[in-house]
Amino acid sequence: MTATTRTALQIRVEAFTFHGETTPVLSGAAISATPGSLTAVLGGSGSGKSTLGKLMAGWLQTGHAGQFRGSLELDGTLLEFRGAPDDPRINPAEWSRRVAFVPQDASAMLSSVRATVAEELAFGLENRATPREDMLSAVERTAARTGLSDLLDRDPATLSGGELRRLAVGCAVIAEPDVLILDEPLASLDAAGAAQLEDLVRSLRGSGTGIVLLSQAADRLAREATHWTILDGRTVTAAGAPAQLAGSAELERAGVIGVGGPGVLGPRAIAPSVAIGSSVAAGVRGPGPVPVAAPGPGSASLELRGVGFGYGQDPRRRGAPVLARVLRDVDFAVHPGEIIAVTGPNGAGKSTLLRHFNGLLRPTEGDVRVCGRSIAGVPVGTVAASMGLLFQHPRDQLFERTVLREAAFGLGQLFGKAEAEGKARAALAAVGLSGTEAAHPAELSASQQRLLALATVLAREPAVLALDEPTVGLDRHGLEALQTAVVRAAARGAAVVIVTHDLSYARLNAHRVLELTGGRLSEI
Amino acid sequence: MKQRLHPFTALTAAASAAVVTTAAAYWPLSVAVALAAVFLAVRREVAGRVLPAAAVILTPLCLSLLVLHGLFFPEGQTVLAQWGPARVTAEGLGFALELGTRTTACVLAFLLFSFTVSVPDLVSALAGRRVPPQFGFVLASTLTLLPAVSVRLDRIRQAQETRGMVVRRGLVSRLGALRLQMVPLVLALIDDAGSRAQALDARGFGSPGPRTTYREVADPPAQRRFRAAALVFAAAAVAGRIVASWPAGVPS
Amino acid sequence: MSQSALTVTAPGQAAGRRRRLLEIAGAAAIAATYIFLVLTQPADIANGPASFSALVALGGFLLGAVLLIVAVLPVLPTSTVVLIPVALVLNVVLGQLMGSTGLPFYIDAIGTVLIAVLAGPAAGAATGALSSIVWSFFNPTVLPFAAGAALIGFLAGMAARGGLFRRFYFAPIAGFVTGILAGVVSAPIAAFVFGGTSGLGTGAIVSAFRAMGDTLLAAITKQALISDPMDKAIVFTIAALLAYALPRRTTFQFPFVRHYRVLAGKSPATPDA
Repeated sequence: MTATTRTALQIRVEAFTFHGETTPVLSGAAISATPGSLTAVLGGSGSGKSTLGKLMAGWLQTGHAGQFRGSLELDGTLLEFRGAPDDPRINPAEWSRRVAFVPQDASAMLSSVRATVAEELAFGLENRATPREDMLSAVERTAARTGLSDLLDRDPATLSGGELRRLAVGCAVIAEPDVLILDEPLASLDAAGAAQLEDLVRSLRGSGTGIVLLSQAADRLAREATHWTILDGRTVTAAGAPAQLAGSAELERAGVIGVGGPGVLGPRAIAPSVAIGSSVAAGVRGPGPVPVAAPGPGSASLELRGVGFGYGQDPRRRGAPVLARVLRDVDFAVHPGEIIAVTGPNGAGKSTLLRHFNGLLRPTEGDVRVCGRSIAGVPVGTVAASMGLLFQHPRDQLFERTVLREAAFGLGQLFGKAEAEGKARAALAAVGLSGTEAAHPAELSASQQRLLALATVLAREPAVLALDEPTVGLDRHGLEALQTAVVRAAARGAAVVIVTHDLSYARLNAHRVLELTGGRLSEI
Repeated sequence: MKQRLHPFTALTAAASAAVVTTAAAYWPLSVAVALAAVFLAVRREVAGRVLPAAAVILTPLCLSLLVLHGLFFPEGQTVLAQWGPARVTAEGLGFALELGTRTTACVLAFLLFSFTVSVPDLVSALAGRRVPPQFGFVLASTLTLLPAVSVRLDRIRQAQETRGMVVRRGLVSRLGALRLQMVPLVLALIDDAGSRAQALDARGFGSPGPRTTYREVADPPAQRRFRAAALVFAAAAVAGRIVASWPAGVPS
Repeated sequence: MSQSALTVTAPGQAAGRRRRLLEIAGAAAIAATYIFLVLTQPADIANGPASFSALVALGGFLLGAVLLIVAVLPVLPTSTVVLIPVALVLNVVLGQLMGSTGLPFYIDAIGTVLIAVLAGPAAGAATGALSSIVWSFFNPTVLPFAAGAALIGFLAGMAARGGLFRRFYFAPIAGFVTGILAGVVSAPIAAFVFGGTSGLGTGAIVSAFRAMGDTLLAAITKQALISDPMDKAIVFTIAALLAYALPRRTTFQFPFVRHYRVLAGKSPATPDA
């Protein structure tokens, strides 16, 4: 802010293009970071945020990963890149000592070869031949800072999502970098985990570290930033103070979620949780659920009768684990055209319940009926004809070479070869993926991959649509597409069940909200 | 029990046992080594894992040896029984016994090592001996990946069944389903590896030069002396065998 | 230079020469061991269980594999090193998956071949050798076959460099040839160290040749020539299918793939399974 503030890191991107591709994934972008500042780069899924962050941090090796034209300046050292073979080559180890990066998938930060949290923290120091005494004190210091002191002897594979994210940050800051780049640090964290991470960022900032935040939500953390840069369509469309940009058209177009500005319709600040990054309700506009046509009581699309389930229980053993009892006496029915939301805290058994709908898990008592027929003994693949279920990880579900083939997979058997392609294209259009038919599914953005997985389910026109945490990872364009698709499916006569941890989203978008607590389902 | 063995001590012991057994070529010794390995496995309470693993490896091998040499051993002189082209000879049975017990002894010795060693200790010890850090990485990373991959494969299977995939009994149907399972698995593994490489480079893994280790592994002098002695013993056994049976046709 | 710490220069020549020498020494150790074993194989194995040949085979082949690893591993870029555990896990997991189809092959080198196609012959050889060494943690009997596994990875990489993965029908042919060479090199291990093969199917084939009066090495070599080429042809085909199923951004991040144009241009000529 003041003229004396020196710039620690500055990047100017003319263009960055991955090998084998013709269009740049990022062009015309420039941002800088100063000590103790918080700079937010906001943009939708696939806008080029991660590419920008990785370029700044020396993670994307220019020349190796792709062709880079532009410049990087770190503390007076200026590196110019012209996309030629004699361009300077960044030494990643030395560079990231000064500029550290924490990827969105925190587990990618870990070496995967260290047995305890303490050793994982020390990994980077070992590689730099730091004397053991210095390592011990650095590990202790960093653990205290990141709130990991009680977890030092734990196996990193057993950490929760929030702990893992803090460990990744710890691995990055143990070398005391001048600049720390965080890619979606709050994504898929619960409220407590998000709050801890926000505190950590504030304390780092207070000690003089310059922070660059990459995010697709203008959440509480982003609103503390001194400077915003908006990325849209792989280029910078606006930059300036948050106050100027909060309600801007650029932010709107970029697909950023959850801005409390005037450009957003829908209820603001329903609950305090809305401000947290994991909640997306405030960003979602939309008509809300349409009224149910006529839910006749006898014709439930999906019905659970007295379903109970427990993992690995053994009645012969004394003191049979009561905790293993996940579902007890669950009764519920969804009728054609109805949208139902199931919420509940993490670990309440929401995913377990969902897996009963198509027989991936079989109830220990009670019965599951789809379109009036019990699915006991019916193979999952057969139930799938009337039950469309969407999981959280789209990458596990996608396996074809092109988006169109993916959406058309298996449709030939359902509708005949002639109609299959038309149905697939219609489903892609319904989620806003027209125009990507020839792309490889893995090359879509994270948000688009989730929508493609949704399209593969919609294309089959199932009688029941069950979605597991469909909002996680979607940017605002994605949320709107989801909204439209769900409403349209319900209008066609499908029964929709949405499982979500996001109560405000559930309230806004469902006809009925049920809560799963203690293995029981109750209307709220 | 006592303090834990240094990983190199256990490794040296297993390797020396295997080398000496191979060099000696004396089935009572092989049986003794195998029994000693079983005894130690029971004492270290890993017999429940070592023995099934060994059985899976050794049963087909030993059966195959018995059938092969027991029935077909053209060099054999002492014929015990004969059915058509198959001849049971004393030499053939002896050969199968020698090789079967030898392999059993070696497999048990090495499995005892790998099921008792602490992999983090081993990796740390290797790094301390200036073995390329990449080697320790490959070893430890594989052991972390294996369980993660089977979890992931389960998830892929569930997701695909949910999309309406029914695997039928025919070979073509199963191969088709297999291709669809392999693609997401391989793609995810290679993508994850790509980002892990960037993270490792950023954390200095790719840089040349010396390293230090955070984890300390005790290496008492007694164990060093034991290792030296075991290596000398194994070398002597090999030398003895080479001198004893240097092939006649080759100048020595 | 003031910025020397933040940037790196291209690696020097001296290190490359030393590495090349180690590679040659490793390959020479494997070749010499094989020739020595074939020339000196005991004429009459009835005299004892070929203990001398077993020691020579183990020592020579392991030495060769270790030299190759020492030569190659430290200079592999990290992006290749992280693929080696992946290859190893794929070898095991995909091998088990294929085993579940009931085909009578081992199919235990898909990962090695895939990495060789993406990262080249040196990476392939290191992957093959390391794969055997690490897997011997669970099955010590694969350890002696490290040299053969390295050869498979090396040849797969050479085939990829030569453009044999650009045409779909060349991949199985390359696999077939690789299978012949790898089978022949590995036969002395099976003969002298284990005295036969694991598994009753292969054992029956060896028995048939023995019944005709072949020496053990000859019988096992002939058995390997029957089963290995077919096995490797299948492995190469699956690896090619997988390589073409990967998105371009993933395959093109490997300099080897870009430089030698390993994979055919836009739409791969792969049949739909």
